Amino acid sequence: MIEILAQVFSAGTFTQMLRSATPVALAAMGGSMTEHAGIMNIGMDGMILMGALIGVLGSYMFGSAAAGVMAAVLFGILVGLFFALFVVKLRSDEFIIGCALNVFANGFTAYVSRSVFGFSGTSGYEIDYMQPIDIPVIGDIPFIGEILSGNTALVYITWILVLVMWAFVYRTPRGFYIRAAGEKPETLRTAGISPERMKWLASILCGMLCGLSGAYLSLGYLNGTFVEGMSASRGFIAFACVIFAAANPAKAYLAALMFGFFDAIGLRLQNYISSDLTSAIPYAITIIMMVYVVVSKERRRRSGRAAAKTSAAPPAEGAGT
Amino acid sequence: MPNTPETVIQLSHITKEFPGVLANDDVSLEIHRGEVFALVGENGAGKSTLMNIIYGIYPPTDGEVFVRGKKMEEYSPKNAIANGIGMVHQHFMLVPSFTVAQNIVMSREPRRAGIFFDNRRAEEITRELVKEYGLAVDPSARVEDISVGVQQRVEILKALYRGADILILDEPTAVLTPQETDELFAVIRRIISEKHMTVILITHKLGEVMAISDRVGIMRHGRLVSLAETKNITEREIASEMVGRPVLFDELERTGTPGDVMISVEDLHVRDNRGLTAVNGVSLEARSGEVVGIAAIEGNGQSELLEAITGMRECVSGSVRIHGTEAVGMTPGQIRALGLAHVPDDRLATGVDAVADVADNLITGRQHSKEFKGFAGHLRRSTIERWASEVYQRFDIRGAGLHGAVGSMSGGNMQKVVVAREFSYDTPALVISNPSRGIDIGATEFIHEAIMEKRNNGCAILLSSADLDEIFRLSDRIITMYEGEITGHFKAGEITKEEIGYYMTGSRRKEADKVDAS
Amino acid sequence: MRVKINYRYIASLAASLAVALLIGAVILMVSGFNPVEAYSALLSGAFSNARHIGDVLEYAMVLCLCGVACNIGSRVGIFNVGGEGQLLLGAIVSAQIGVVLNGLTPWVVIPVAALGAALTGGLYALLPGWLKVKHNVNEVITTIMLNNIAEFVCEFLAKGPWKNPDNNIVAGTGNLPTEYWFTRLATGSNLTTVFFVATIMTVLTWYIMQKTATGYEMRLTGDNPRFARFAGIKTDKLVIIGMLVSGMLCGLAGMFRVYGAEHIYKASISNDYYFEALTVAMIAKYQIPATAVISVIFAVLKIGAQGMETAAGVPNQIYLIIQTVVIFCMAAESGIFDGLKRRAEDKAAKAAARLREKEGAAHD
Repeated sequence: MIEILAQVFSAGTFTQMLRSATPVALAAMGGSMTEHAGIMNIGMDGMILMGALIGVLGSYMFGSAAAGVMAAVLFGILVGLFFALFVVKLRSDEFIIGCALNVFANGFTAYVSRSVFGFSGTSGYEIDYMQPIDIPVIGDIPFIGEILSGNTALVYITWILVLVMWAFVYRTPRGFYIRAAGEKPETLRTAGISPERMKWLASILCGMLCGLSGAYLSLGYLNGTFVEGMSASRGFIAFACVIFAAANPAKAYLAALMFGFFDAIGLRLQNYISSDLTSAIPYAITIIMMVYVVVSKERRRRSGRAAAKTSAAPPAEGAGT
Repeated sequence: MPNTPETVIQLSHITKEFPGVLANDDVSLEIHRGEVFALVGENGAGKSTLMNIIYGIYPPTDGEVFVRGKKMEEYSPKNAIANGIGMVHQHFMLVPSFTVAQNIVMSREPRRAGIFFDNRRAEEITRELVKEYGLAVDPSARVEDISVGVQQRVEILKALYRGADILILDEPTAVLTPQETDELFAVIRRIISEKHMTVILITHKLGEVMAISDRVGIMRHGRLVSLAETKNITEREIASEMVGRPVLFDELERTGTPGDVMISVEDLHVRDNRGLTAVNGVSLEARSGEVVGIAAIEGNGQSELLEAITGMRECVSGSVRIHGTEAVGMTPGQIRALGLAHVPDDRLATGVDAVADVADNLITGRQHSKEFKGFAGHLRRSTIERWASEVYQRFDIRGAGLHGAVGSMSGGNMQKVVVAREFSYDTPALVISNPSRGIDIGATEFIHEAIMEKRNNGCAILLSSADLDEIFRLSDRIITMYEGEITGHFKAGEITKEEIGYYMTGSRRKEADKVDAS
Repeated sequence: MRVKINYRYIASLAASLAVALLIGAVILMVSGFNPVEAYSALLSGAFSNARHIGDVLEYAMVLCLCGVACNIGSRVGIFNVGGEGQLLLGAIVSAQIGVVLNGLTPWVVIPVAALGAALTGGLYALLPGWLKVKHNVNEVITTIMLNNIAEFVCEFLAKGPWKNPDNNIVAGTGNLPTEYWFTRLATGSNLTTVFFVATIMTVLTWYIMQKTATGYEMRLTGDNPRFARFAGIKTDKLVIIGMLVSGMLCGLAGMFRVYGAEHIYKASISNDYYFEALTVAMIAKYQIPATAVISVIFAVLKIGAQGMETAAGVPNQIYLIIQTVVIFCMAAESGIFDGLKRRAEDKAAKAAARLREKEGAAHD
């Protein structure tokens, strides 16, 4: 038992947690943008998958992982534009478009990957991938240093992005507009600002971040390999994080860390318990957390109700609408 | 006022057509600097459309707008704001989760370091505005937490912050208490005398027109039918111009005497959607053959009360009995089975399936009747058709036809569909909420007569309406509500409209005495 | 009876298909294939013999059944995205029932397996339905999560407790004895007699949803649940039952795959088939006849693309691209149409205003 706990709470677990959390966190931050803009984006999984392929492709063509990441981000912008074209401009059902984007990404990446790399995929190809970066001083601290140092650049960039995205949403006028576009678009329109433009912006940002997420997956997590269907529902986990974090990028990162943690202990405990079962845990937790959030809200209301029964609580403000 | 008034807005032959609707038909009008111009008309007369054109929400199909002599080239709110036009919409344009200050400065935010939103400065700006115009608001309060009256102040401050000197107010008093209305009018007078601004007031409350406006324009069916100085016209004249004929709501005929208690409510407590107490210990009853009217300003618990009675809202405590049977805890369907039908507050949200056709909306509740349900549970379409078209004609429904979607109908006809269905159940008790809201006078008259016919045939009716005229016209007894409590209890004729206002605002109270033990 | 044929819809579908095939042709050309050759290989891959036609119909059956399952949910206003998980669980449970009850007569085993599959799928769908009704938990998210859980659980079962050690695959249950197999309708094809059962189920669902009082109540519940409750309809019950039946159909679809096509539970039982069916249902605007037609079209594309891969060496995933282009077009259809309509209406309104002005001037 102690042996298991030692395995679970070893530095390796937390390193793995960071690695697993990063792609989910990146996509979740993107999803936070669309969520704030009032778009239910379930197409993130496809966006990630395409980012993963384009990252590998870019790295393969230009011979540099950085170029691969750039390519993935640029392609992400295109995907975001494409998504917004349908959802915002043509007013299509965002759910259909999200679903279709996922199916399309499956077909597109498999088709392109087979056309370029052949039917057996990228194995056997020389593809530049992201190298771990050792941070001096911090890297020498036992345990914590082990976790914080020696990650690929995108892990650190993600930390910066968490700050940037959080500040963007809650501290800049543009961020206010995006939130207003989701909450009450007419407010923007009567202020002379186009809510549609804000939705375009949010979609593009989401595309970029999902592209980055995909690039991390193929060039960082899997050392320069593309595998068909490698997003493995991470887009849906990211979506769960968004819901969970009420689209707050910082909270979304924390939610992603939690998923990373369960992913990591699943890998750690393979010898004791089937990794299939531990892999299922984060999904179950999402459901439990969603139910918890809803039920606790209900309970809060009900306790207010109980108070009203005993004391003469002041009546409602005159706002019926 | 100077002899040659300065024209700030000139509308020249404005026509606006929406698919199938001619909203504005060749309207020409001049608005002068420093005046309060009242634009009146029935619902759907085209007042809001005209103002939305001035504010640049959409361009006119034909015609031109000149602001201070300059032709409006591009119709957008941005352009309108740049031209000094501000508009306070009927439904406020505020983001609920943002603070007051954040809402006010939106689109012209103070910034820090060029990129960050400067919240402190925004609140300072708000405080300065508050000082300048005397409209009290708390800059850091969230809009979702403040009352409707305060929200309106935020809207006005927002327009002023954007540099408006022409202010359009769309039905500003619809959600206000009389006191708040007085405050609003004081503000209007002040900004006109001190800041030389211009105010356009859209309304259909004639008392307000007389109280505040300098000139009045009357619209009917998209046309501007009359234009007058307020001091040269009477309320009655305005009313008949609005409708296009002299308004004479005849006294409705009443027969019979009240019978058994059909609806009885005792010490009922109900919460609103936010979990706050909305109905606080209400007791009342309605007997067969009488109309009991609930008079209250919107948002004082009357909607929640009726929803609780009909089972659409959970009760915290208390009792509701329909014909003697306890109904608290029952589903709306079970309560209907006790003999209670319900014309709801918001017909689009609660009263109809807007996607389904008229026939399907009329038969709801009868889908399992022997008449309509045939072998293997199938619906007998031809029988339904016959029945529905008979009801359709009896209630004089017009517009979409039996197979048109209800959502495409006018408010009046949609309301008739609801009334036709609910009245066709022939229940001994009825709960009716705002039956004539947003519908034209013809349909209102029809529905009032139908309600009275129900009453005379021995139905117990509990009526709630924000329209005092409606309450006075239909009710045998009137109950006033304020902040979830009953503040007064009167027989028809016992109180005047003016007096009842004191009870609706809680400044007077009258214990429920023996009035109902007649 | 009112029969409404929506010509605009049919035209849109045809146009979308044409656009998709055109884009597919461009992609084929870019990647160095001859589109004419490729498409004729696709057609012969779908229609050249009874076996291919049978495979097309079998796949169309799975899509249609899952699409109908989705339609039932959406009719009562709940969106069952979790069909994939319900299908997988139904498949593995029915397969294991066949293995465990080996030796009994098919007259017992097949009904028991069908019941097991339907119950598993139904109960698995019941949870998100109940959470939605009771606590208003978003069913889209819960069903997506449940999909992933089901996938892992099935993987675990097929690798562990229910694995047949005699099989040389990593994850799979035991093989079904041949007497439990559904009878094939064409040699070598996956199409079996169960096709007729699926057809009956589809028609029956259509009848209930379209013609009966219950269907009427379902529609009101989906359109405006508040109104339905107001009018005395037991909306909660309808939503729960709708979700249950939806899950049951998915579970049965899984069982049909096992007993009709694969005769074993393994990963290839479904490859996100339900998600494909979901898009079919959505572009069919949740109408059952359109769902059936589009299922056939998509099945032709898929099975044909497999033939195309063998004959012309084109990666068969091209069919997913073509298919999603159809979906994108159909989803954008109303947006495009409305845009055109609005422009035309604006023009007409302006012209009418001019005309009135002229007439007015003449009258003055």
